[in-house]
Amino acid sequence: MNIEKSREQHVRSKENAIKYGFWLLLMFFLTLLPFLLPNPFYMRLVTELFIYGLLAMSLDVLLGYTGLLSFMHAAYMGIGAYSVGIFLTYVEIPPSLWLSFPLGVGIVLLIALPVGWLQVRTGGFAFALLTIAFGMMYYTLVWKSRDITGGDDGMIGIPKPDITIGNWSLGSTGDPLIMYYFTLFVVLICFLVTRRIIQSPFGAVLEGIRENEERASFIGYNIRRFKLLGWLLACCLAGVCGVLFTYLKGSVSPTMMDATAGGAVLMMTLLGGLGTLWGPFLGAALFIFGQDFISTLTEHWMVFMGLAVMLLVLFMPKGIGGMINQFLEKRQSTKGE
Amino acid sequence: MMPIILNTENLNKKFGGVSAVFDTTIQVEDKKLTAIIGPNGAGKTTFFNLVTGRLRPTSGKVFYKGHDITHSSPHKLAQIGICRTFQINSLFLGLTVFENVRLAKQAKVGGSYKVFSLRKNLKDVNEGARTVLEEVGLQDKGSVIVSKLSYGDQRALELGIALACEPKVMLLDEPTAGMSQGETERLTNLIKELANSRAIVLVEHDVEMVMAISDNISVMNQGKIIAEGPPEEIRKNHLVREAYLGEED
Repeated sequence: MNIEKSREQHVRSKENAIKYGFWLLLMFFLTLLPFLLPNPFYMRLVTELFIYGLLAMSLDVLLGYTGLLSFMHAAYMGIGAYSVGIFLTYVEIPPSLWLSFPLGVGIVLLIALPVGWLQVRTGGFAFALLTIAFGMMYYTLVWKSRDITGGDDGMIGIPKPDITIGNWSLGSTGDPLIMYYFTLFVVLICFLVTRRIIQSPFGAVLEGIRENEERASFIGYNIRRFKLLGWLLACCLAGVCGVLFTYLKGSVSPTMMDATAGGAVLMMTLLGGLGTLWGPFLGAALFIFGQDFISTLTEHWMVFMGLAVMLLVLFMPKGIGGMINQFLEKRQSTKGE
Repeated sequence: MMPIILNTENLNKKFGGVSAVFDTTIQVEDKKLTAIIGPNGAGKTTFFNLVTGRLRPTSGKVFYKGHDITHSSPHKLAQIGICRTFQINSLFLGLTVFENVRLAKQAKVGGSYKVFSLRKNLKDVNEGARTVLEEVGLQDKGSVIVSKLSYGDQRALELGIALACEPKVMLLDEPTAGMSQGETERLTNLIKELANSRAIVLVEHDVEMVMAISDNISVMNQGKIIAEGPPEEIRKNHLVREAYLGEED
């Protein structure tokens, strides 16, 4: 018994060492990546990938852990992006990161709170439909408020704030290299914090709701409250994505919050695999690079993307992340025997 | 006689024109085992649903320790100590056996808003969950995913989840349905033992089992209580014998 246990421990610590080694290597690689890329275009593309990866991950919190489907999650990123864009454009003070960042996320939460309050009072399918209804409403509002948002032209030339800590400036968010590291840092923090939350007792309740909403309420959980908290967590993360997006691009357009954008995020999350948190980053990478690659061959890249998604759903229902997890588990169980 | 912990007053539930539960008044004594028997469709499960907040009664009231709880939601009822099991298993299928029970224990003990601590750090919750697993005989299967569990074990877990909520009143909807003889016997003993420290309301088809372990029995037919009393009285009741126990001797 004891020998078995210590062997098991040995195997586990070895597995852990491999895992941490892998993460260290990945971080090392991502730190060096800007110097390996041929031009700033790809650096910006990778930065965008981090942002969309985080957005897909935040949808995973909602869909993969709480069991709530949002068709228009990109809309909350859009709200964050527009909030920051409008603030930096119209408020006549030197562009400030420390003001605009919390403001962007705060406005997303301010809108997500009453909307979420209403949405969690409905069942599964109605919840999903309401996300479309509200998403279309935001989109129309942005589209129609031409005086402020620029309508279908969007906003361009949004001032880019410096990244400062006290009096010490790290550089401008307009510098692709600086923005790359800043985004990597923020996304990494968000990932680690979210992972911690998911592994917490609170995360356990979200999983319980995903698995069996009714039983969760019959053992004493106020499921509406927990769903609302899960929703707010996902929207808060989407808000962070929006803020980063505006810093990176210096422009926003209503297409980033339309139904196609909402569908794209859902695809990234499903491609990457639900309930893994890291899977959606892979999904976003595949989606964005796939889009970039195919669109150099044909303008009808959506056709191929759709086809790829259909095949993936048919043959890899758990996404890439699910496949990798399955593979790792299998290896572990054969090793244990 | 023990004090009344749960009672209903003229509880009614109509689905369209059909009365599923009609003018049902039941009193549940604390630390006793009250059984509700009756044929299929008698309204036993509907009655459970009314008491535990799954359905709203058309009229009538439910009281817990004298407080009106008629319109309380399931999670509030669970928090004050009224927990139930389901006739058709209602489990967290994708989670482990331990996590199922741990989740229920966490609902009772607390810690659900600790977003930055780890599940394993809730010592009381984990210990409580382990104790419950031992009580229902699943201590060796804690790490198994529930969907891969045998039906009998799932049935035991169904009870374990309710038990982890540390209920004052436990409503069990056919807890032994589909279990083997041995499993049924073990679970029956457990239920009897549990009734020493809390009130139990039991819906069961197995009349012999009910007779053996119940303190009080209510017989339901077509939404109405047609007889109630201790097992020996029910056994003697002519009406009940004719309709539900079979006229063998």
